[in-house]
Amino acid sequence: MSTAVDTEQVYAVAAAVFAAMIDGDEGLLTPWYGDLPLVEEPLSAWVDLHGELPGRAALVCEAATAHDLTRALLMMEADEEVDDQDLVDAFGEIANVVGGNVKSLLPVQDTLGLPEVAHGHPPAAEGHVAQELRLSWRGQLIVVTIWLVG
Amino acid sequence: MIRVLVADDSRVMRQIVVRTLRQAGYDWHVREAENGAQALAAVREDEPDVVLSDWNMPEMTGIELLRALRAEGFETPFGFVTSEGSAEMRETADAAGALFLIAKPFTAESFRDVIEPVLA
Repeated sequence: MSTAVDTEQVYAVAAAVFAAMIDGDEGLLTPWYGDLPLVEEPLSAWVDLHGELPGRAALVCEAATAHDLTRALLMMEADEEVDDQDLVDAFGEIANVVGGNVKSLLPVQDTLGLPEVAHGHPPAAEGHVAQELRLSWRGQLIVVTIWLVG
Repeated sequence: MIRVLVADDSRVMRQIVVRTLRQAGYDWHVREAENGAQALAAVREDEPDVVLSDWNMPEMTGIELLRALRAEGFETPFGFVTSEGSAEMRETADAAGALFLIAKPFTAESFRDVIEPVLA
């Protein structure tokens, strides 16, 4: 794994994003302990880092989890229906904020792309997996992956 | 009432910014823009008391918006609300005439801390 960003830094970024934007409180995003469940209906969001130190920051989880994240972000009721536009916007914005904060940790500052959201696992980026964090948000699996070239 | 223009390509983020402004206090009249070009047109039409803008947007970025406003003579108080809060970006924002940069994720307190001096 790369030394450009370490596990604690990426976890701190993700924890801060979830605490401030989604939960309004700390401690609801924790490391995932135990075996990983099969993600049956994966939904991914990612943002690319361009420039001297290119890479990608991505989140993947069950589509149902992304719906719950959107409800939490928009302060919707638990049984309220999430439309596709809000889902893509909200889930993409979470990846955008995680990616932007990870970019701030890098020694070289370049540009950040616009967030993308797609069904399935995130497409592998150039370079290597610098960090892969398996996280539990309210008991639901979210995997954060950071690719970096160099 | 403070008239604020919020520019962000994410509707969800605009909604969160507006919600946070209300949590931070004051009485806000909010207009929204989906990118820098829309925001520039909105300022030309009716200059707000303050502009809060994302950095990374399609059509026209936040820093391009700020530079365009200053080039046209608008001295509208301007702050960035962005996911990228590096020292280099803060310097760039400052050099272009931004009064503050709020890094996402943010809280009502962090909004209040930077906006209060601007409104004073």
